[in-house]
Amino acid sequence: MPRLCALCATQRPILKRPKTGQQICKTCFFHVFETEVHNTIVEAQLFQPGDRVAIGASGGKDSTVLAHVMKTLNDRYNYGLELFLLSIDEGITGYRDDSLETVKQNQKEYNLPLKILSYNELYGWTMDSIVEAVGRKNNCTFCGVFRRQALDRGAAMLGVDHIVTGHNADDVAETVLMNIMRGDIARLGRCTAICTKGEDTIKRSKPFKYTYEKEIVMYAYFKHLTYFSTECIYSPDAYRGHARSFLKLLEAARPSAIIDIIYSGEACEVSEEATKELKERKTCKRCGYMSSNDLCKACTLLEGLERGMASAGITDRGRKQLEASGPAPDGLRTIPFFQMNAQSPSQSAPDDGRDSAPPMPAVVGVEAG
Amino acid sequence: MSTSCGNPNAESDALMPRRRKFDRSKLCIKCKINQGNIVIRHAVYCKDCFLPMMYNKIKRTIEPTINPTPEGPRKKNLNPSGNLVIAFSGGLGSTVLLDVIYRGYFSSRRPRGETNTLSEGKDPKKERVWKEGKVCYVEVCGAFHGMRDRTDDVRRIVERYDDLEFVPLRIEDAFDESWWESVDLILSPCSRNGTPLSALCNYLSSLPAPTAIPSTLQTLTRLLLLHTALSTHSSHLALGTCLTSLSISLVSLVAQGGGFNLKEEVQEEWSPDSLSRSKGRSVRVVRPLKDIVMKECAMYAWWKGLEIVGQETWPGARQGISRITKDFIIGLEKDYPSTVSTIARTCAKLSPKDHAVGTCILCNRPAQPGVQEWKNRISIRSLSTDPPVSSEKASLAPYLCYACHTTLTSKSSK
Repeated sequence: MPRLCALCATQRPILKRPKTGQQICKTCFFHVFETEVHNTIVEAQLFQPGDRVAIGASGGKDSTVLAHVMKTLNDRYNYGLELFLLSIDEGITGYRDDSLETVKQNQKEYNLPLKILSYNELYGWTMDSIVEAVGRKNNCTFCGVFRRQALDRGAAMLGVDHIVTGHNADDVAETVLMNIMRGDIARLGRCTAICTKGEDTIKRSKPFKYTYEKEIVMYAYFKHLTYFSTECIYSPDAYRGHARSFLKLLEAARPSAIIDIIYSGEACEVSEEATKELKERKTCKRCGYMSSNDLCKACTLLEGLERGMASAGITDRGRKQLEASGPAPDGLRTIPFFQMNAQSPSQSAPDDGRDSAPPMPAVVGVEAG
Repeated sequence: MSTSCGNPNAESDALMPRRRKFDRSKLCIKCKINQGNIVIRHAVYCKDCFLPMMYNKIKRTIEPTINPTPEGPRKKNLNPSGNLVIAFSGGLGSTVLLDVIYRGYFSSRRPRGETNTLSEGKDPKKERVWKEGKVCYVEVCGAFHGMRDRTDDVRRIVERYDDLEFVPLRIEDAFDESWWESVDLILSPCSRNGTPLSALCNYLSSLPAPTAIPSTLQTLTRLLLLHTALSTHSSHLALGTCLTSLSISLVSLVAQGGGFNLKEEVQEEWSPDSLSRSKGRSVRVVRPLKDIVMKECAMYAWWKGLEIVGQETWPGARQGISRITKDFIIGLEKDYPSTVSTIARTCAKLSPKDHAVGTCILCNRPAQPGVQEWKNRISIRSLSTDPPVSSEKASLAPYLCYACHTTLTSKSSK
């Protein structure tokens, strides 16, 4: 007698769920995948009706599936959200330029407005030029720091209340392991939070926090979703690669390890004594973004690049070298001043004379309405 | 991993000069006279300075844990409330620990309560800290068919240390009612056919995945040691976990969902139940070598000529979470030399988010609330929206911590 789906017991199973090991049919897989994300959203109370939500879209599998699932759940459960696609062009030839074509396709498929913001227009540097200056060991630091700011700026330009990203359970588990191994207490205290919100930053959530990467791939495959599947050409040298290979070994031995690591991360917090050592949150004096020091990391990295001392924001030696060479000369390229726009785009942003943000690039696609 | 630095100005065939392991000189940094014999984290030591340095480091780790309450502003005499049990596995760490503890706190001191010559007076530093010391070894060969029994080898090592009593245990004692009675624990009567060994084998074969076996044996070993310590009126149980092993066990614990018990993995105050705790009956589990890296332990053992019995490799251990973690951390330490110390330091800065709701009935460590609800919320395993009907059989699940529940339920990918 052929085996039946472990959930509905009516159809033949066609896959084994990586998360639970259950053999289930396609219909049940779609149902549990989508419902688990819905439960995550509802449990964490991520959204309110009327929220304007930007989906960080790279064209990769996570953000493509995220866009699809957010649109599906928004319609099915009447979240009442206004959805946008927000893309960042880091300027990586052969990788990002191709994946952005996928995002444009997603925009047409889901009928969502799309905004693309590039490193070049925001910082004057592409990742290709950064890697030429910095090498391949610390380039991911630049990309991560610049992308975070770029997402916030793009979201502020769109006037959204909330950014959602496609970070999945594997990403969160890798981050927990990585932060333990590198001693990054500040990040360790934040990385398992499903939603992060600062005073001057836009709320940011990870609806896929408990969703396995393998299941995202399976979902995209069975739903015939189009996505760009090449890994970043600079990623093999990143420290995260060590955490990833370790996680894959653990997953092979015990598939629940991914969720177990997330649980461990959620079960701890930074102790009271250690919290006193953490730097307090300030505002960058140059660009107004959130910062632990006088200058935010992005401004520090950019100054280092502009002044030919690319390791300024990376190593202690680089930082001392930058400090020793005196203050930044006039006319150096800087990041435009950041102002979180709490108003909708139909209302004009306050003009205080300091705002030197570049003119807003055109929003591609049909306006939501 | 690519080994190219990506710098376009460098010649592709250029060889990078080997980084010097020490910055200044080959002389010992302490005495500045002798030629160095060992480099520990870029510091050069000669043999004569290394050994006292190691004793002092271990002393600084263990002595604050000896008195029942932490010291106040004035340093008090070392006065533990009970005896000492040293857990011995046959590995490098426990061999070194046994030697260091014996030399520092037993052989070099007179027994407690003995009056002595007029010249020494009643100097507390000349008196043994613990009245009695026992060395406890748990033999696990019963869990694996064909594994060699090393109890006699271990006995031979321990008997070299006078005044320390050897207490051999077997892992199947955890399933032996008479053993539990001998340590003053009365169990509810249960009907079971067969020997403790067959009960152990049945238990291990019923586990859902091979990765659960090493975790289970570790938990059982720990419980046997704790109950032995309690029944021998010992206030301290010393484990030979060095810094390297500690970092590995911390990451391994995180990987098994045991983040709530990171503090207990470093040091814990254990009692079998709340009544014992209220009467002051508890065992403090300490790791005197937790600031000593494996390299230092190895050099100590070499210079002292210690015989290492070693540990048998468990069949299937390579697929275990602990072994995978160990191979990974030791490999990573080669490229990033401060990994081991960073892991231990990071975990020391973490504390549990919630308050514990009782103790896990399997591992006897604090259990966090809402384990079942969390697991049910994260994964949908049934299409039925009705709450699960309580079966007539009692379930252990609500009384287990996350890590133990995962060990007993998490299947392998096969």
